Amino acid sequence: MSLLKKTIKETSHLNWILLVFLLFFYLTGFIFVGRLMPAGETVIVEVNGKTVYKLALSEDRIVDVKGPIGVTKVEVKDGRVRVLYSPCPEKICMKQGWIRRGVIICVPNRVVVSIKGGKVRGVDAITG
Amino acid sequence: MQSQDRLRVALLVAVAIALHGFERTIPTPIPWLRFGFANIITLTAVVFYGLRVALMITLIRVFVVSLFVGTFLGPGFILSLGGGLASTIAMGGVFYLLGGLFSPLGLSLIGAFAHNLAQLFLAYLLFVRKIDAILYLSPVILVFGVLAGTVNGLASGMLIISLREEGLRVGRKAMGKEHGAQGTGR
Repeated sequence: MSLLKKTIKETSHLNWILLVFLLFFYLTGFIFVGRLMPAGETVIVEVNGKTVYKLALSEDRIVDVKGPIGVTKVEVKDGRVRVLYSPCPEKICMKQGWIRRGVIICVPNRVVVSIKGGKVRGVDAITG
Repeated sequence: MQSQDRLRVALLVAVAIALHGFERTIPTPIPWLRFGFANIITLTAVVFYGLRVALMITLIRVFVVSLFVGTFLGPGFILSLGGGLASTIAMGGVFYLLGGLFSPLGLSLIGAFAHNLAQLFLAYLLFVRKIDAILYLSPVILVFGVLAGTVNGLASGMLIISLREEGLRVGRKAMGKEHGAQGTGR
């Protein structure tokens, strides 16, 4: 512990100013981006930057998304969305679980699931 | 480089690999986020041995860990490599150009920032190609980076102080000669 105290003592004010500045700057960004992306109503599924599905968040369903390494299953239920199954090795997208806003990104299979504002009207889904 | 230095650098590499491997087992709220404990070693190497040795340590660490874990040349490897190189160069560059202006804490924060920036840029360039997804993720990643950078910076400061005290007895010549101890403090 005395080592930690010594370290803190040897740390000049400039460093703490940098720390506070960065935190302030990022937290402002946090709020800004949060405002920018309100909870939406549309789930957009993209592979390699191309939109393959547009789904209404209000309607429960499971879709298969074909990516470069296999089929990713995306589930929409109770106004939330998750990656039900993914062929990627680390399954990070699956571990992220249900989301109501924001994005799930599966890097190995190039799948991006994002939630956007604005309703899907007329059709149940658009496949491309 | 003297043989004692070589031994130390080898030890630093070993510890960096161990830390990198170890932190993979720690769960974080979002699976993408990692603490980057290995940067404690990178920063210490920058301070004691300079940018070249630190870059060497980073490269060896990234390659060895990816070979062990099986992510070699995968997306995780590319992000790891890009982030590691960016943060090492940023920390080394600032340390050289501005000397004793920043303590390990400040250097670590700068390194964390460069790390995050490089990874977000690479993720955009290679994998995601969606600027709003990156924008949405970036504050989370950057805030986490500041927290991890603070912890790592303080840990690195502690390591540097104790190595410096050790260096008084053991390897003063090796450490103090070029750009060693005097640059670390205040």
